[in-house]
Amino acid sequence: MANENILIIGGGPTGLEAAKGIAELGYKVILAEKRDKMGGTPVSAGYAALTPDMRDAGDAMQEMCDAIENNPDVKIMLNTEITGTSGEPGNFMVKAKSNGNEVDIEAGAVIIATGFTHFDPGRETQKYGYYEHDDVITIVDAEKLLKSGTFVRPSTGEKPNRVAFIQCVGSRDRQIGNEYCSKVCCGITSKQAIEVRELLPGCKVFIFYIDMRMYGYWENEIYWPAQEKHKVNYIKGMGTEIIKKGDGLIVKGEDTTMRRPMEIPMDMVILAVGMEPSEGTKQVADIFGVNKNKFGFIETTGGALNTVSTNVDGVFAAGACTGPSDLEDCISAAGSAAMKAISTIRKVSIPV
Amino acid sequence: MIHLPITKASERHFKIDPNDAPVKDLREELFQLEKEGELEVIRVPDNHVELMTKYGRKKKIPIDKTWHHKSCGQCGHIPGYSTSIFWLNRQFGLDYYDPTDQTSCTAWNYYASATSNPEAQAAVAVRNFAAAHEVGYFPLIHCGTSFGHYKEVRHALVHQHDLRRKVKKIMERLGKKLVLPEEVVHYSEWVLAMKDRIAERQVIDMSNITATVHPACHYHKLIEEDAIYDSEIYGAQRTAIVTGTLQALGINVGDYSTWFDCCGFGFRHILVSRDFSRSFSVQRKIEVMKEEVNPDVTVTHDTGCVTTLDQSQFAGRAHNRKVGIPVMADSQMAALAMGAHPYKVLQLHWHNTDNKPFLRKLGIDVEKVWSEFQAEVDKIKSGEKKFMTWEDADK
Amino acid sequence: MMALDLSQNKHADVSYEEKERLFEEVKADERWHHVLYGCFECGICVASCPSARFYDFSPRVIAQAVSREDTDLIYTLMSDSIWDCSQCFSCDRCPRQNSPGQIITIMREVAVKNGLQTAKKALEGYGRIIYKIMSTGSQVSPDMLQPDAFPDWGTHVYEIAENLEEWRKALPPETLHTTETGWKIDKKTIIELYLIWHMTGVMDLIEGIDEGLFMILVDVMEERLEEAGYDDVTFD
Repeated sequence: MANENILIIGGGPTGLEAAKGIAELGYKVILAEKRDKMGGTPVSAGYAALTPDMRDAGDAMQEMCDAIENNPDVKIMLNTEITGTSGEPGNFMVKAKSNGNEVDIEAGAVIIATGFTHFDPGRETQKYGYYEHDDVITIVDAEKLLKSGTFVRPSTGEKPNRVAFIQCVGSRDRQIGNEYCSKVCCGITSKQAIEVRELLPGCKVFIFYIDMRMYGYWENEIYWPAQEKHKVNYIKGMGTEIIKKGDGLIVKGEDTTMRRPMEIPMDMVILAVGMEPSEGTKQVADIFGVNKNKFGFIETTGGALNTVSTNVDGVFAAGACTGPSDLEDCISAAGSAAMKAISTIRKVSIPV
Repeated sequence: MIHLPITKASERHFKIDPNDAPVKDLREELFQLEKEGELEVIRVPDNHVELMTKYGRKKKIPIDKTWHHKSCGQCGHIPGYSTSIFWLNRQFGLDYYDPTDQTSCTAWNYYASATSNPEAQAAVAVRNFAAAHEVGYFPLIHCGTSFGHYKEVRHALVHQHDLRRKVKKIMERLGKKLVLPEEVVHYSEWVLAMKDRIAERQVIDMSNITATVHPACHYHKLIEEDAIYDSEIYGAQRTAIVTGTLQALGINVGDYSTWFDCCGFGFRHILVSRDFSRSFSVQRKIEVMKEEVNPDVTVTHDTGCVTTLDQSQFAGRAHNRKVGIPVMADSQMAALAMGAHPYKVLQLHWHNTDNKPFLRKLGIDVEKVWSEFQAEVDKIKSGEKKFMTWEDADK
Repeated sequence: MMALDLSQNKHADVSYEEKERLFEEVKADERWHHVLYGCFECGICVASCPSARFYDFSPRVIAQAVSREDTDLIYTLMSDSIWDCSQCFSCDRCPRQNSPGQIITIMREVAVKNGLQTAKKALEGYGRIIYKIMSTGSQVSPDMLQPDAFPDWGTHVYEIAENLEEWRKALPPETLHTTETGWKIDKKTIIELYLIWHMTGVMDLIEGIDEGLFMILVDVMEERLEEAGYDDVTFD
């Protein structure tokens, strides 16, 4: 007989969606979260508005949390970190440390939803000076500023007149090793650009990019309005250096359209930092013997036709722990993982 | 001031984890090749200091038993630069070797004209390394160009076994072994490793001096992982070389918006297409330094950079550009701080842009020290002395 | 400053087969696979390039041309563009890990090896440096500091040239008491250098660039080699 609990590791959007779905289908969930609250990165990093629909991130995450809070079929364990595991599909014996105490969790299937972390701009190949200049910030910092309603220059506290975004920071780079595209940053940047233009109508906004990647409806919902309605300037050409000059900054790049080097003064520069596997993702993968790809993300085994199965039967992975994902990907993968986790339990329970 | 929900630069601390390094430590492959009998590795002597490099790897910097791989441009046109390096070694009583069994790295010609090929370049490098090894010393590279080039050559020899085979054959003909040093070390890294010892013996107060630093392209842009970085300097976002040395001497190092720019040396250009070199260095480097920092001196650590920045200012002056910053090497600054004679040791008379105001600002009686040097030259002119010796230089 | 003419009709006098052959030679270099990957036209190389600010020069155009294997364009660049590069390798910042600077180094070597007219022209006036480095193993020597060689370095050079002999003797390091070379080099060391040139075919490259220079150099080198007991080493 299989244990009818499904252990979900990670209480971000992916874990929350999977938990809700599994409970709705009549199975029991144990949701283990490392931090002291649910909501994952959108909450801990203080995201302002979601891409693409501009819905308030806080509200959206609250809705997701509410759906499983006080749900008799979902046991929430905060401050809980996985430390070891044994067993097999249908009967996993997982060890964890919860609020300082050693606990045992029995589950029939496991879903890893440990998510991502943002790239540290100090490791960037180009010379962006995040650790040297106050007014060089990341899109994560920008979200916090937008959420607080005060979008100002950290150096002076004054409103900026010229803001630039630089794309692909920490992604698409062979020297750093993160050769992949982080998928969401073009959309997030464009969204933030729109928000800045709305907040500060007098502020010019520039986006320096290699390619603009807004797939599907993001093209017409974000990219076109950013250019057409909000007059965001998209310049094809990457910045290589951000230098302090006087009270401001200069972005050195090439305007490839004009085929010449450019040096453009800016009040603030926002780095579109990419996604990397979180510490939790790497640790949990190792604990379960789940293969990671060369970038450290969890490797799923089915190519395009299966985005959640791993090399370990009964252990699934969903969301950003498998690679750069947007919210829509996470929600969809959560559903797929929930379905397969339940299927695992049922297969073991109902003899063929 | 509003309290913001994000940090300022001073609150951000960049942590370097050597395990995250995107490149492998070349020495692993080097020692593996040695095990397989493909080559021999010259080990860094026991007396060495470890400095951190860009991705957190600790680099061994030899302190003594150094074989000084001289720079042709330095010894040829700015001999005070080389002299100051030797002077520093002598002050600390270190065992160093100044070879005559040394060729130029020939990289200046290679980058200028490409009238060479990888085998020849690698063979020249290995021949010099072997010469050092044969006398039991460790090569210390005086020039930024040589340094960059030798890093490239070492990489190529480790990774391209065809090249290695060819060079080994050449070495056999010359009766030499195929050797490579454990580390390729630039003399400015030695100066940086010695900075506290130098500061201890500083006799000239430089706290009223503002300087700008120009890092050589071939030092930190070519095979980046080998350059020295320091968490306390530029937050480990830019190389700490030269800046660290000057700060230890109490000098104010001013930042300017073209810090990362090349000096405009161009290898070929400085000799044959000079309008490029002098325009670039004046407009992109000197004028910017002057406008944004107005330093008393600009300090660099490579032959080509000293030459370009120093010599280009004359043409700049002729065109009424805002120039006039004396140019010196970090070793010259360190020697000066320790009381080295501006003309007998630093040999500043070979430099072009007027450095007398700078010397005067340090409280040096320029006329007096010039006449001291002239007295030595007179002795040589009259035949009383054949050469000026180290003892004469320190009198 | 001449604008770079990238039109298809440039260098129509050279056959397509010849242009292809030269490009194949570039691609055959052992380093090729480490210096060219792909290019997504980010422009970082141009942004960091000193030559791009002074000349109509673009490392990005060069990387694109070789990526696209555009034979005509590659030949044009090999003729008219590669000598503008300052070989600073700021372009090694490329996120794809291309090195436009090294692509250019390889293209230059092929240009020199094949004695391209444009390579010869670019190296006009450079002959005495080649002579110095090949024959003495020292690129710039004290006696090259002459006013007619460096007129734009100012009156200072007169002073140096006048006092050269004494000033060189007024140098504490013993190895620097020289005027013809930067430092004292052993005879044996120079011979080893000549043997390296001989075994690596470097003198053939010089012959292709400047035959007159080649002949002078070979005379000097063969004479010294003979003195040292290497009569069998010749450069023809």
